Amino acid sequence: MSILTSSDRVAGAASVGRTKRLRPSYWPFVVPALVVVVGVIVFPWVFTLWMSAMEWRIGEEQRFVGLQNYVRLATDVRFLEAMGHTLVYTALSVVAPLVLGTAAALAFNTKLPARGLLRGIFVMPMMATPVAIALVWTMMFHPQLGVLNYLLSLVGIGPLQWVYHPSTVILSLVLVETWQWTPLVMLIVLGGLASLPTEPYESAQIDGATAWQRFRYLTLPMIKPFLMVAVIIRSIDALKSFDILYTITQGGPGTASETINLYLYSVAFTYYDIGYGSAIAVVFFVLIILLSLVLLHLRQRSAWNSGDGK
Amino acid sequence: MASVSIRNVRKSYGPVEIIKGVSIDIQDGEFVILVGPSGCGKSTLLRMIAGLEEISGGTVAIDDRVVNDMPPKDRDIAMVFQNYALYPHMTIADNMSFALRLKNTAKSEITAKVERAAGILGLGPLLDRFPRQLSGGQRQRVAMGRAIVRDPKVFLFDEPLSNLDAKLRVQMRTEIKEMHQRLKTTTVYVTHDQIEAMTMADKIVVMHDGIIEQIGAPLDLYDHPANMFVAGFIGSPAMNFIPGSIGGDGFTTEDGSRLPLGGRVPAASDGRPAVYGVRPEHFRLADEGLAAEVVVVEPTGSETQMVLRPLGTKAGREDRKRELTWVLRERTGARPGEVVRIAPDPALAHLFNPDTGLRL
Repeated sequence: MSILTSSDRVAGAASVGRTKRLRPSYWPFVVPALVVVVGVIVFPWVFTLWMSAMEWRIGEEQRFVGLQNYVRLATDVRFLEAMGHTLVYTALSVVAPLVLGTAAALAFNTKLPARGLLRGIFVMPMMATPVAIALVWTMMFHPQLGVLNYLLSLVGIGPLQWVYHPSTVILSLVLVETWQWTPLVMLIVLGGLASLPTEPYESAQIDGATAWQRFRYLTLPMIKPFLMVAVIIRSIDALKSFDILYTITQGGPGTASETINLYLYSVAFTYYDIGYGSAIAVVFFVLIILLSLVLLHLRQRSAWNSGDGK
Repeated sequence: MASVSIRNVRKSYGPVEIIKGVSIDIQDGEFVILVGPSGCGKSTLLRMIAGLEEISGGTVAIDDRVVNDMPPKDRDIAMVFQNYALYPHMTIADNMSFALRLKNTAKSEITAKVERAAGILGLGPLLDRFPRQLSGGQRQRVAMGRAIVRDPKVFLFDEPLSNLDAKLRVQMRTEIKEMHQRLKTTTVYVTHDQIEAMTMADKIVVMHDGIIEQIGAPLDLYDHPANMFVAGFIGSPAMNFIPGSIGGDGFTTEDGSRLPLGGRVPAASDGRPAVYGVRPEHFRLADEGLAAEVVVVEPTGSETQMVLRPLGTKAGREDRKRELTWVLRERTGARPGEVVRIAPDPALAHLFNPDTGLRL
């Protein structure tokens, strides 16, 4: 998220700098933060860029190869497939929690009995450790011993192969992701709903809007900025999702659920091809930046309650 | 356009009765103002006419059709809220046309109606803006525009001017009155501000604690208040109330001063306790009458307002309500601490029963 807003901050800082020049004696105060930022963010990135231009295998000589790693990426079928898996997985892991989370928020925004308790229970998946969740779901997904197939057999469906079959593995993983992160979307949207003014609803009632029309023409546009926040957070989270995938399938069966992250991991830490792995990381980074910019642009357009609304 | 008839309407929240049987007849095209202090039930009554609150008892009829169980959208009313209740994410034009778009009105008709309303209210240049880009007065005008576009049978206003500053309030008051004279739509208007009520209404309904104290034309209420509540509520500064008793051909205050009654002594009332009511502007300087000490002099330019403490009363908190207000048109050299003698104009004085508050 810091990447997303850094341009605004830089612009703000620049305008301050013009009017109020910093005296040299202030600089020591900036140094600790500067050291941390350079050491933890700037240096690793520059170093990754440099590594991506090298042929660098652990235990072998390093050699400068220029853009050769990137050329190799463009024809790497496994990488292109991983890219496809990542996009499908991300899209589904954004849309499903968004729809369900919004529905849940609408439900929790009414005068439900025992609302606080239910909301607390509903939020619990979000607080659990991903690896623990992954282990539990692995057991539930088991075709013979898993509880999911047992439940399906009660209504005469199945048995399904879940994460053990290439055609269902991504959907099954999305199910876990949705289960864990719907509460987050619910909380964001619930906050949005609570901030909405109540008077326009009365006025819409007099104007003749039905319950559906009030949702469609008032609630939905008014919570759009909050939905966009949820989309941004979920997109970035899902794109870089690793723990659940690695614990449940390690990208399998075969490479049917291998995302860029998992492929990157095996290239760098299984095959020890650090140079090529760095190139993947750079491409992945550019992808995330582009997506973030698009989402940020959409978010600004959706904000009816700030700016001058051009 | 339509008449509105409110018959014995009650409203209770659980065991608490907010409105205790209220009946009002509103003629076609009339501008009726419900006025009263906070919590008197006037807004609740308006919301019941609108259909935003359920009616616990009695009936509300618009154009002779009982609307108790009719949803707001079918009542053919338009409402203007205190905080405008505009749709924040829609442009002014979209705000005004929302109701028409819901009814699938033809585009050309919508444009024509919005332009007409914008013309009436001077909103033309603002149609593409968003509510947050408008000032309070402009927003209130948009809220009115939204009501006009609907072309409803009845306009309902719920304290529409309360969020505006004093100067703008006076201006909008004129605009609303002008709009009513032009459109002649039946209007029910709620306010706690008696000046608004006096200046705008054809008919004022004074409410207090869930009942109607009096219904009448503005000057009728001013000249002939039915009871002490109305007498004290209508008019600013408020009417002076002087406790005492009726005796002989006059009125004797508690400290023994004599006030004239102008021969209007109620029958069989010798020695009977009463409250003498006189408006601040109906005192004049006199040789006899009440002797009082000047406490505060407040010149406003066009008139001078004076707070007086009748001799024999102390400066304490208890005696604060014995203090009298006197408004005189001319300027005065009176200073705090001086003693003046004032007498009321007997023809314009009122007498009230101290127990029931009713006019004698």
